[in-house]
Amino acid sequence: MPKYLCMQRNLRTANSPKGEKPSPAQMQEMYAQFGAWQAKFKTNLVDMGGKLGQGRLVTSQPAADGPFVEVKELVGGYMIVSADNLDEAIEVARGCPGLVGPSSGVEVIEIHTP
Amino acid sequence: MSAPRLVEHFFRHEYGRLVATLSRRLGVQHLEAVEDAVQAALMTALESWTVAGLPDNPSAWLFRVARNALVGELRQRTRRGRILGETRSEYMGAPEDAPEPFLAGEMPDDLLRMLFVCCDEGLPPESQLVLALKTLCGFDVREIALRLFSTEANVYKRLERARNRLREVPPSIDELTFEQYSSRLPAVHKILYLLFTEGYLSSHAETAIRQELSDEAIRLASILAEHPVGKAPETSALLALMHLHAARITARQDASGGLILLEEQDRALWDQERIQLGLSWLADSARGDVFSRYHAEAGIAAEHCLAPSFAETRWEKVVECYALLEQVAPSALHKLNRAVAVAQWQGPAAGLALLEGFEPPSWLAGSYQWAAVLADLHRRCGHDHAARRYRDVAVKSAPTQAVRELLERRLQIGT
Repeated sequence: MPKYLCMQRNLRTANSPKGEKPSPAQMQEMYAQFGAWQAKFKTNLVDMGGKLGQGRLVTSQPAADGPFVEVKELVGGYMIVSADNLDEAIEVARGCPGLVGPSSGVEVIEIHTP
Repeated sequence: MSAPRLVEHFFRHEYGRLVATLSRRLGVQHLEAVEDAVQAALMTALESWTVAGLPDNPSAWLFRVARNALVGELRQRTRRGRILGETRSEYMGAPEDAPEPFLAGEMPDDLLRMLFVCCDEGLPPESQLVLALKTLCGFDVREIALRLFSTEANVYKRLERARNRLREVPPSIDELTFEQYSSRLPAVHKILYLLFTEGYLSSHAETAIRQELSDEAIRLASILAEHPVGKAPETSALLALMHLHAARITARQDASGGLILLEEQDRALWDQERIQLGLSWLADSARGDVFSRYHAEAGIAAEHCLAPSFAETRWEKVVECYALLEQVAPSALHKLNRAVAVAQWQGPAAGLALLEGFEPPSWLAGSYQWAAVLADLHRRCGHDHAARRYRDVAVKSAPTQAVRELLERRLQIGT
Protein backbone atom coordinates (compact mmCIF):
# COMPACT_ATOMS: atom_id res chain seq x y z
CA MET A 1 0.00 0.00 0.00
CA PRO A 2 1.31 3.45 -0.86
CA LYS A 3 2.37 5.68 2.01
CA TYR A 4 1.43 9.28 2.55
CA LEU A 5 3.11 12.04 4.52
CA CYS A 6 0.61 14.08 6.55
CA MET A 7 1.85 17.45 7.69
CA GLN A 8 -0.12 19.55 10.13
CA ARG A 9 -0.22 23.10 8.79
CA ASN A 10 -0.63 26.00 11.12
CA LEU A 11 -3.39 28.25 9.75
CA ARG A 12 -3.45 30.61 12.67
CA THR A 13 -3.14 34.25 11.63
CA ALA A 14 -2.43 37.31 13.72
CA ASN A 15 -6.16 37.98 14.05
CA SER A 16 -7.20 34.41 14.80
CA PRO A 17 -9.10 34.26 18.05
CA LYS A 18 -7.00 32.68 20.77
CA GLY A 19 -8.35 29.23 21.38
CA GLU A 20 -9.63 28.56 24.88
CA LYS A 21 -7.60 26.10 26.86
CA PRO A 22 -9.35 22.78 27.12
CA SER A 23 -10.46 21.77 30.59
CA PRO A 24 -9.23 18.50 32.13
CA ALA A 25 -12.62 16.94 31.38
CA GLN A 26 -12.33 18.00 27.74
CA MET A 27 -8.80 16.60 27.57
CA GLN A 28 -10.14 13.27 28.75
CA GLU A 29 -12.71 13.47 25.97
CA MET A 30 -10.01 14.31 23.41
CA TYR A 31 -7.88 11.43 24.65
CA ALA A 32 -10.81 9.06 24.20
CA GLN A 33 -11.57 10.40 20.71
CA PHE A 34 -7.94 9.98 19.75
CA GLY A 35 -7.97 6.41 20.98
CA ALA A 36 -11.11 5.66 18.99
CA TRP A 37 -9.58 7.16 15.85
CA GLN A 38 -6.39 5.13 16.31
CA ALA A 39 -8.39 1.97 16.78
CA LYS A 40 -10.50 2.67 13.70
CA PHE A 41 -7.51 3.27 11.42
CA LYS A 42 -4.95 1.05 13.11
CA THR A 43 -3.91 -0.64 9.86
CA ASN A 44 -3.37 2.77 8.21
CA LEU A 45 -1.33 4.41 10.95
CA VAL A 46 2.21 3.40 10.04
CA ASP A 47 4.11 6.03 11.98
CA MET A 48 2.48 8.43 14.43
CA GLY A 49 5.35 10.85 13.86
CA GLY A 50 5.40 13.72 16.27
CA LYS A 51 5.60 17.45 16.78
CA LEU A 52 8.40 19.35 15.10
CA GLY A 53 10.93 21.38 17.04
CA GLN A 54 13.83 23.63 16.10
CA GLY A 55 15.54 23.27 12.75
CA ARG A 56 17.87 24.94 10.32
CA LEU A 57 18.11 25.03 6.57
CA VAL A 58 21.49 23.78 5.38
CA THR A 59 22.62 24.86 1.91
CA SER A 60 25.84 25.24 -0.04
CA GLN A 61 25.40 28.99 0.23
CA PRO A 62 26.70 30.81 3.30
CA ALA A 63 23.90 31.42 5.79
CA ALA A 64 22.00 34.54 4.97
CA ASP A 65 21.01 36.95 7.67
CA GLY A 66 17.65 36.29 9.25
CA PRO A 67 14.89 36.62 10.06
CA PHE A 68 13.89 33.12 9.10
CA VAL A 69 10.46 31.66 9.36
CA GLU A 70 10.75 28.73 11.75
CA VAL A 71 9.62 25.48 10.18
CA LYS A 72 7.52 24.72 13.23
CA GLU A 73 5.61 27.95 12.69
CA LEU A 74 4.39 26.47 9.42
CA VAL A 75 4.30 22.78 10.17
CA GLY A 76 3.17 21.62 13.59
CA GLY A 77 3.87 17.96 13.22
CA TYR A 78 3.80 15.02 10.87
CA MET A 79 2.73 11.40 10.63
CA ILE A 80 2.85 8.73 7.97
CA VAL A 81 -0.20 6.74 6.96
CA SER A 82 -0.63 3.96 4.45
CA ALA A 83 -3.69 3.90 2.23
CA ASP A 84 -4.85 2.57 -1.11
CA ASN A 85 -5.08 6.03 -2.60
CA LEU A 86 -4.93 9.72 -1.78
CA ASP A 87 -8.63 9.93 -0.96
CA GLU A 88 -8.39 7.18 1.59
CA ALA A 89 -5.30 8.81 3.14
CA ILE A 90 -7.23 12.07 3.36
CA GLU A 91 -10.06 10.29 5.10
CA VAL A 92 -7.65 8.94 7.72
CA ALA A 93 -6.08 12.36 8.27
CA ARG A 94 -9.40 14.15 8.39
CA GLY A 95 -10.62 11.81 11.10
CA CYS A 96 -7.75 12.68 13.43
CA PRO A 97 -9.21 14.70 16.32
CA GLY A 98 -7.95 18.27 16.46
CA LEU A 99 -6.05 18.10 13.17
CA VAL A 100 -8.49 19.82 10.84
CA GLY A 101 -10.10 22.85 12.44
CA PRO A 102 -10.32 26.62 12.36
CA SER A 103 -6.61 27.15 13.02
CA SER A 104 -5.05 23.99 11.68
CA GLY A 105 -5.14 21.95 8.51
CA VAL A 106 -3.34 18.95 7.11
CA GLU A 107 -1.39 18.49 3.93
CA VAL A 108 -1.47 14.94 2.61
CA ILE A 109 1.34 14.04 0.17
CA GLU A 110 2.04 10.73 -1.48
CA ILE A 111 5.49 9.28 -0.88
CA HIS A 112 6.91 7.60 -3.97
CA THR A 113 8.99 4.65 -3.09
CA PRO A 114 11.08 2.86 -5.72
CA MET B 1 -1.42 0.68 18.15
CA SER B 2 -4.10 2.53 20.01
CA ALA B 3 -4.03 4.54 23.22
CA PRO B 4 -5.01 2.45 26.24
CA ARG B 5 -8.05 3.57 28.17
CA LEU B 6 -7.69 5.79 31.18
CA VAL B 7 -9.86 5.52 34.27
CA GLU B 8 -12.89 7.76 34.37
CA HIS B 9 -12.17 11.38 35.30
CA PHE B 10 -8.43 10.67 35.18
CA PHE B 11 -7.47 14.15 33.94
CA ARG B 12 -9.79 15.96 36.34
CA HIS B 13 -8.70 14.00 39.38
CA GLU B 14 -5.01 14.18 38.47
CA TYR B 15 -5.47 17.93 38.20
CA GLY B 16 -6.82 18.06 41.74
CA ARG B 17 -4.11 15.84 43.14
CA LEU B 18 -1.26 17.68 41.43
CA VAL B 19 -2.54 21.13 42.40
CA ALA B 20 -2.88 19.96 46.00
CA THR B 21 0.58 18.39 46.11
CA LEU B 22 2.46 21.16 44.34
CA SER B 23 0.80 24.00 46.21
CA ARG B 24 1.63 22.27 49.46
CA ARG B 25 5.28 22.20 48.49
CA LEU B 26 5.43 25.72 47.14
CA GLY B 27 2.85 27.50 49.20
CA VAL B 28 -0.70 28.36 48.21
CA GLN B 29 0.30 31.93 47.38
CA HIS B 30 1.59 30.40 44.14
CA LEU B 31 -1.71 28.69 43.43
CA GLU B 32 -2.16 30.33 40.05
CA ALA B 33 1.31 29.40 38.82
CA VAL B 34 0.72 25.87 40.08
CA GLU B 35 -2.58 25.59 38.25
CA ASP B 36 -1.01 26.87 35.02
CA ALA B 37 1.83 24.37 35.28
CA VAL B 38 -0.56 21.49 35.93
CA GLN B 39 -2.76 22.50 33.01
CA ALA B 40 0.31 22.63 30.74
CA ALA B 41 1.52 19.24 31.99
CA LEU B 42 -1.84 17.66 31.20
CA MET B 43 -1.71 19.14 27.69
CA THR B 44 1.79 17.75 27.20
CA ALA B 45 0.57 14.39 28.41
CA LEU B 46 -2.33 14.42 25.98
CA GLU B 47 0.02 15.12 23.06
CA SER B 48 2.69 12.68 24.12
CA TRP B 49 0.62 9.74 25.36
CA THR B 50 -1.58 9.59 22.30
CA VAL B 51 1.53 9.13 20.15
CA ALA B 52 3.93 7.23 22.37
CA GLY B 53 1.49 5.37 24.62
CA LEU B 54 1.04 5.60 28.35
CA PRO B 55 4.13 5.77 30.56
CA ASP B 56 4.53 3.14 33.31
CA ASN B 57 3.36 5.52 36.00
CA PRO B 58 1.21 8.28 34.48
CA SER B 59 0.78 10.10 37.79
CA ALA B 60 4.51 10.26 38.43
CA TRP B 61 5.10 11.34 34.82
CA LEU B 62 2.64 14.20 35.21
CA PHE B 63 4.15 15.24 38.51
CA ARG B 64 7.64 15.41 37.02
CA VAL B 65 6.53 17.48 34.02
CA ALA B 66 4.42 19.87 36.11
CA ARG B 67 7.12 20.28 38.75
CA ASN B 68 9.84 21.01 36.20
CA ALA B 69 7.68 23.59 34.46
CA LEU B 70 6.91 25.21 37.78
CA VAL B 71 10.52 25.29 38.94
CA GLY B 72 11.49 26.91 35.65
CA GLU B 73 8.75 29.48 35.93
CA LEU B 74 9.55 30.39 39.53
CA ARG B 75 13.29 30.57 38.82
CA GLN B 76 12.58 33.05 36.06
CA ARG B 77 10.42 35.09 38.38
CA THR B 78 13.17 35.07 41.00
CA ARG B 79 15.66 36.25 38.38
CA ARG B 80 13.30 39.00 37.27
CA GLY B 81 12.75 39.87 40.93
CA ARG B 82 16.48 40.11 41.54
CA ILE B 83 16.96 42.32 38.52
CA LEU B 84 14.23 44.57 39.86
CA GLY B 85 15.96 44.55 43.23
CA GLU B 86 13.10 42.81 44.94
CA THR B 87 13.81 40.29 47.59
CA ARG B 88 12.03 37.17 46.68
CA SER B 89 13.49 34.74 49.12
CA GLU B 90 10.16 32.95 49.10
CA TYR B 91 11.12 31.26 45.84
CA MET B 92 14.19 29.72 47.38
CA GLY B 93 14.03 26.18 48.56
CA ALA B 94 12.59 25.13 45.25
CA PRO B 95 10.60 21.93 45.16
CA GLU B 96 13.39 19.88 43.61
CA ASP B 97 15.04 19.89 47.04
CA ALA B 98 12.16 17.88 48.34
CA PRO B 99 12.39 14.10 48.19
CA GLU B 100 10.62 12.34 45.36
CA PRO B 101 6.90 12.26 45.86
CA PHE B 102 4.37 9.47 45.92
CA LEU B 103 4.90 7.95 49.25
CA ALA B 104 1.79 5.94 49.80
CA GLY B 105 -0.85 8.01 51.49
CA GLU B 106 0.65 11.34 50.57
CA MET B 107 -2.00 12.21 48.00
CA PRO B 108 -5.06 12.01 50.26
CA ASP B 109 -3.20 14.14 52.80
CA ASP B 110 -2.52 16.81 50.22
CA LEU B 111 -6.06 16.74 48.90
CA LEU B 112 -7.45 17.04 52.39
CA ARG B 113 -5.11 19.86 53.25
CA MET B 114 -6.25 21.70 50.14
CA LEU B 115 -9.85 21.16 51.18
CA PHE B 116 -9.11 22.81 54.52
CA VAL B 117 -7.30 25.62 52.69
CA CYS B 118 -10.43 26.22 50.60
CA CYS B 119 -12.52 26.49 53.75
CA ASP B 120 -10.84 29.70 54.86
CA GLU B 121 -13.04 31.57 57.34
CA GLY B 122 -12.24 34.80 55.52
CA LEU B 123 -14.04 33.60 52.39
CA PRO B 124 -17.79 33.48 51.81
CA PRO B 125 -19.08 29.92 51.31
CA GLU B 126 -19.75 30.54 47.58
CA SER B 127 -16.10 31.40 47.03
CA GLN B 128 -15.01 28.39 49.06
CA LEU B 129 -17.19 26.17 46.91
CA VAL B 130 -15.93 27.60 43.63
CA LEU B 131 -12.32 27.30 44.79
CA ALA B 132 -12.85 23.67 45.75
CA LEU B 133 -14.50 22.87 42.43
CA LYS B 134 -11.64 24.49 40.54
CA THR B 135 -8.64 23.20 42.47
CA LEU B 136 -9.82 19.88 43.88
CA CYS B 137 -12.29 18.66 41.28
CA GLY B 138 -10.52 20.11 38.22
CA PHE B 139 -13.55 21.85 36.67
CA ASP B 140 -12.83 25.02 34.70
CA VAL B 141 -14.73 28.28 35.05
CA ARG B 142 -17.15 27.45 32.25
CA GLU B 143 -17.95 24.04 33.69
CA ILE B 144 -18.43 25.44 37.20
CA ALA B 145 -20.83 28.11 35.90
CA LEU B 146 -22.84 25.43 34.12
CA ARG B 147 -23.07 23.30 37.24
CA LEU B 148 -23.92 26.08 39.67
CA PHE B 149 -26.38 27.87 37.36
CA SER B 150 -24.16 30.91 37.50
CA THR B 151 -22.43 33.07 34.92
CA GLU B 152 -18.78 32.65 33.98
CA ALA B 153 -18.12 36.23 35.09
CA ASN B 154 -19.62 35.51 38.47
CA VAL B 155 -17.62 32.33 38.95
CA TYR B 156 -14.47 34.13 37.87
CA LYS B 157 -15.13 36.90 40.39
CA ARG B 158 -15.55 34.45 43.24
CA LEU B 159 -12.42 32.63 42.19
CA GLU B 160 -10.39 35.84 42.04
CA ARG B 161 -11.59 36.76 45.49
CA ALA B 162 -10.44 33.41 46.80
CA ARG B 163 -7.04 33.63 45.09
CA ASN B 164 -6.44 37.14 46.35
CA ARG B 165 -7.22 36.02 49.85
CA LEU B 166 -4.80 33.10 49.57
CA ARG B 167 -2.07 35.41 48.27
CA GLU B 168 -2.53 37.85 51.12
CA VAL B 169 -2.83 35.38 53.92
CA PRO B 170 -0.88 32.33 52.87
CA PRO B 171 -2.37 29.80 55.25
CA SER B 172 0.49 27.91 56.82
CA ILE B 173 -1.68 24.91 57.36
CA ASP B 174 1.33 22.69 57.86
CA GLU B 175 1.78 24.23 61.26
CA LEU B 176 -1.86 23.91 62.16
CA THR B 177 -2.51 21.86 65.20
CA PHE B 178 -5.07 19.11 65.37
CA GLU B 179 -7.33 21.53 67.26
CA GLN B 180 -7.04 24.13 64.52
CA TYR B 181 -7.89 21.56 61.89
CA SER B 182 -10.91 20.71 64.01
CA SER B 183 -12.05 24.32 64.08
CA ARG B 184 -12.30 24.34 60.27
CA LEU B 185 -13.98 20.97 60.13
CA PRO B 186 -17.56 22.36 60.33
CA ALA B 187 -16.80 24.60 57.33
CA VAL B 188 -15.42 21.59 55.45
CA HIS B 189 -18.61 19.64 56.19
CA LYS B 190 -20.69 22.55 55.03
CA ILE B 191 -18.84 22.77 51.71
CA LEU B 192 -19.15 19.06 51.06
CA TYR B 193 -22.83 19.21 51.94
CA LEU B 194 -23.28 22.16 49.59
CA LEU B 195 -21.39 20.35 46.82
CA PHE B 196 -23.60 17.31 47.28
CA THR B 197 -26.91 19.15 47.33
CA GLU B 198 -25.89 21.30 44.35
CA GLY B 199 -25.69 18.04 42.46
CA TYR B 200 -28.52 16.16 44.09
CA LEU B 201 -31.17 18.85 44.23
CA SER B 202 -30.17 20.73 41.11
CA SER B 203 -32.85 20.89 38.48
CA HIS B 204 -30.26 20.55 35.74
CA ALA B 205 -31.65 18.56 32.88
CA GLU B 206 -28.73 16.21 32.54
CA THR B 207 -28.58 13.58 35.24
CA ALA B 208 -24.96 12.84 34.44
CA ILE B 209 -23.93 16.42 35.13
CA ARG B 210 -25.79 16.52 38.42
CA GLN B 211 -24.45 13.20 39.50
CA GLU B 212 -20.89 14.32 38.91
CA LEU B 213 -21.11 16.91 41.67
CA SER B 214 -22.64 14.44 44.09
CA ASP B 215 -19.95 11.90 43.23
CA GLU B 216 -17.23 14.48 43.87
CA ALA B 217 -18.76 15.29 47.27
CA ILE B 218 -18.82 11.60 48.19
CA ARG B 219 -15.25 11.12 46.99
CA LEU B 220 -13.91 13.98 49.12
CA ALA B 221 -16.04 13.08 52.14
CA SER B 222 -14.78 9.50 51.96
CA ILE B 223 -11.17 10.70 52.00
CA LEU B 224 -12.04 12.96 54.93
CA ALA B 225 -13.62 10.14 56.89
CA GLU B 226 -10.52 7.96 56.49
CA HIS B 227 -8.23 10.58 57.96
CA PRO B 228 -7.62 11.40 61.64
CA VAL B 229 -8.45 15.10 61.15
CA GLY B 230 -11.78 14.23 59.60
CA LYS B 231 -12.85 11.28 61.71
CA ALA B 232 -15.88 12.72 63.47
CA PRO B 233 -19.50 11.64 63.96
CA GLU B 234 -20.59 14.50 61.70
CA THR B 235 -18.41 13.22 58.87
CA SER B 236 -19.96 9.76 59.17
CA ALA B 237 -23.47 11.25 59.28
CA LEU B 238 -22.69 13.35 56.21
CA LEU B 239 -21.51 10.28 54.29
CA ALA B 240 -24.57 8.38 55.46
CA LEU B 241 -26.95 11.00 54.12
CA MET B 242 -25.03 11.26 50.85
CA HIS B 243 -25.16 7.53 50.20
CA LEU B 244 -28.80 7.23 51.29
CA HIS B 245 -29.80 9.97 48.87
CA ALA B 246 -27.51 8.87 46.04
CA ALA B 247 -28.95 5.36 46.27
CA ARG B 248 -32.27 6.71 45.05
CA ILE B 249 -31.10 9.28 42.47
CA THR B 250 -31.87 7.20 39.38
CA ALA B 251 -35.43 6.54 40.53
CA ARG B 252 -36.19 10.26 40.70
CA GLN B 253 -36.54 10.78 36.96
CA ASP B 254 -38.48 9.04 34.26
CA ALA B 255 -37.03 8.24 30.86
CA SER B 256 -37.91 11.64 29.45
CA GLY B 257 -36.34 13.54 32.35
CA GLY B 258 -39.60 14.22 34.19
CA LEU B 259 -39.47 14.24 37.99
CA ILE B 260 -41.07 11.39 39.90
CA LEU B 261 -42.53 11.85 43.37
CA LEU B 262 -41.26 9.71 46.20
CA GLU B 263 -44.61 7.92 46.45
CA GLU B 264 -44.54 7.06 42.74
CA GLN B 265 -40.93 5.86 42.63
CA ASP B 266 -40.14 2.28 41.76
CA ARG B 267 -38.35 1.19 44.91
CA ALA B 268 -36.82 -1.75 43.08
CA LEU B 269 -34.59 0.80 41.30
CA TRP B 270 -33.03 1.91 44.55
CA ASP B 271 -29.42 0.82 44.93
CA GLN B 272 -29.58 -1.61 47.87
CA GLU B 273 -25.82 -1.95 48.14
CA ARG B 274 -25.51 1.78 48.50
CA ILE B 275 -28.31 1.89 51.06
CA GLN B 276 -26.40 -0.66 53.15
CA LEU B 277 -23.29 1.47 52.85
CA GLY B 278 -25.24 4.53 54.00
CA LEU B 279 -26.74 2.62 56.91
CA SER B 280 -23.34 1.45 58.08
CA TRP B 281 -22.08 5.05 58.05
CA LEU B 282 -25.21 6.02 59.97
CA ALA B 283 -24.42 3.39 62.61
CA ASP B 284 -20.88 4.73 62.71
CA SER B 285 -22.13 8.28 63.22
CA ALA B 286 -24.02 7.26 66.35
CA ARG B 287 -20.78 6.74 68.24
CA GLY B 288 -20.19 9.61 70.62
CA ASP B 289 -22.78 12.07 71.83
CA VAL B 290 -22.88 14.46 68.88
CA PHE B 291 -26.16 15.06 67.08
CA SER B 292 -25.81 17.34 64.05
CA ARG B 293 -28.14 18.38 61.27
CA TYR B 294 -26.44 15.71 59.16
CA HIS B 295 -27.54 13.08 61.67
CA ALA B 296 -31.13 14.30 61.44
CA GLU B 297 -31.11 14.39 57.65
CA ALA B 298 -29.45 10.99 57.38
CA GLY B 299 -32.08 9.66 59.79
CA ILE B 300 -34.88 10.93 57.55
CA ALA B 301 -33.26 9.49 54.44
CA ALA B 302 -32.77 6.15 56.23
CA GLU B 303 -36.46 5.96 57.14
CA HIS B 304 -37.41 6.39 53.49
CA CYS B 305 -34.82 3.83 52.35
CA LEU B 306 -36.02 1.25 54.87
CA ALA B 307 -39.73 1.68 54.24
CA PRO B 308 -41.12 -1.16 52.09
CA SER B 309 -43.57 1.28 50.50
CA PHE B 310 -44.64 4.90 50.73
CA ALA B 311 -47.71 3.98 52.79
CA GLU B 312 -45.69 1.84 55.18
CA THR B 313 -43.18 4.58 55.97
CA ARG B 314 -42.74 5.16 59.68
CA TRP B 315 -43.97 8.73 59.43
CA GLU B 316 -43.82 9.29 63.18
CA LYS B 317 -40.07 8.67 62.98
CA VAL B 318 -39.72 11.04 60.03
CA VAL B 319 -41.65 13.70 61.95
CA GLU B 320 -39.39 13.17 64.94
CA CYS B 321 -36.26 13.60 62.80
CA TYR B 322 -37.62 16.80 61.25
CA ALA B 323 -38.35 18.16 64.74
CA LEU B 324 -34.76 17.36 65.76
CA LEU B 325 -33.50 18.95 62.55
CA GLU B 326 -35.40 22.12 63.38
CA GLN B 327 -33.75 22.18 66.78
CA VAL B 328 -30.15 21.82 65.56
CA ALA B 329 -30.59 23.85 62.36
CA PRO B 330 -33.62 26.11 62.65
CA SER B 331 -35.13 26.78 59.24
CA ALA B 332 -38.67 27.45 58.08
CA LEU B 333 -38.08 24.91 55.29
CA HIS B 334 -37.65 22.15 57.87
CA LYS B 335 -40.92 23.15 59.51
CA LEU B 336 -42.61 22.92 56.14
CA ASN B 337 -41.15 19.46 55.58
CA ARG B 338 -42.30 18.40 59.03
CA ALA B 339 -45.83 19.52 58.13
CA VAL B 340 -45.71 17.26 55.06
CA ALA B 341 -44.61 14.31 57.20
CA VAL B 342 -47.27 15.08 59.83
CA ALA B 343 -49.89 15.13 57.08
CA GLN B 344 -48.82 11.61 56.04
CA TRP B 345 -48.86 10.44 59.61
CA GLN B 346 -51.98 12.07 61.06
CA GLY B 347 -53.79 13.41 58.03
CA PRO B 348 -53.69 16.63 55.98
CA ALA B 349 -55.62 18.63 58.59
CA ALA B 350 -52.91 17.93 61.19
CA GLY B 351 -50.29 19.09 58.69
CA LEU B 352 -52.18 22.29 58.05
CA ALA B 353 -52.64 22.84 61.77
CA LEU B 354 -48.87 22.78 62.24
CA LEU B 355 -48.51 25.67 59.78
CA GLU B 356 -51.49 27.54 61.20
CA GLY B 357 -50.48 31.07 62.12
CA PHE B 358 -46.90 30.47 60.96
CA GLU B 359 -45.48 33.43 59.06
CA PRO B 360 -42.89 32.10 56.61
CA PRO B 361 -39.88 34.27 55.87
CA SER B 362 -40.19 36.08 52.56
CA TRP B 363 -37.70 33.80 50.71
CA LEU B 364 -39.88 30.81 51.52
CA ALA B 365 -43.26 32.53 51.16
CA GLY B 366 -42.38 33.44 47.59
CA SER B 367 -41.06 29.99 46.69
CA TYR B 368 -42.87 27.23 44.85
CA GLN B 369 -42.21 24.80 47.73
CA TRP B 370 -44.32 26.77 50.21
CA ALA B 371 -47.18 27.30 47.79
CA ALA B 372 -47.08 23.71 46.56
CA VAL B 373 -47.25 22.19 50.03
CA LEU B 374 -50.15 24.45 51.04
CA ALA B 375 -51.94 23.75 47.77
CA ASP B 376 -51.56 20.02 48.31
CA LEU B 377 -52.68 20.05 51.96
CA HIS B 378 -55.72 22.23 51.18
CA ARG B 379 -56.55 20.03 48.19
CA ARG B 380 -56.52 16.93 50.36
CA CYS B 381 -58.69 18.69 52.96
CA GLY B 382 -61.19 19.56 50.22
CA HIS B 383 -60.56 23.31 50.45
CA ASP B 384 -60.71 23.76 46.68
CA HIS B 385 -60.64 27.52 46.67
CA ALA B 386 -57.48 27.84 48.75
CA ALA B 387 -55.93 24.92 46.89
CA ARG B 388 -56.42 26.62 43.52
CA ARG B 389 -54.98 29.88 44.77
CA TYR B 390 -51.80 28.25 46.10
CA ARG B 391 -51.50 25.97 43.08
CA ASP B 392 -51.44 28.95 40.71
CA VAL B 393 -48.70 30.58 42.76
CA ALA B 394 -46.69 27.36 42.84
CA VAL B 395 -46.94 26.73 39.11
CA LYS B 396 -46.03 30.31 38.35
CA SER B 397 -42.89 30.26 40.49
CA ALA B 398 -41.65 26.82 39.42
CA PRO B 399 -37.94 27.14 38.54
CA THR B 400 -37.91 24.62 35.69
CA GLN B 401 -40.23 22.98 33.23
CA ALA B 402 -39.78 19.59 34.92
CA VAL B 403 -40.92 21.03 38.27
CA ARG B 404 -43.83 22.85 36.63
CA GLU B 405 -45.07 19.66 34.98
CA LEU B 406 -44.79 17.80 38.24
CA LEU B 407 -46.83 20.45 40.07
CA GLU B 408 -49.55 20.50 37.43
CA ARG B 409 -49.81 16.75 37.54
CA ARG B 410 -49.84 16.49 41.31
CA LEU B 411 -52.07 19.45 42.13
CA GLN B 412 -55.08 18.59 39.99
CA ILE B 413 -58.12 19.75 41.86
CA GLY B 414 -61.46 17.93 41.56
CA THR B 415 -64.26 19.80 39.88
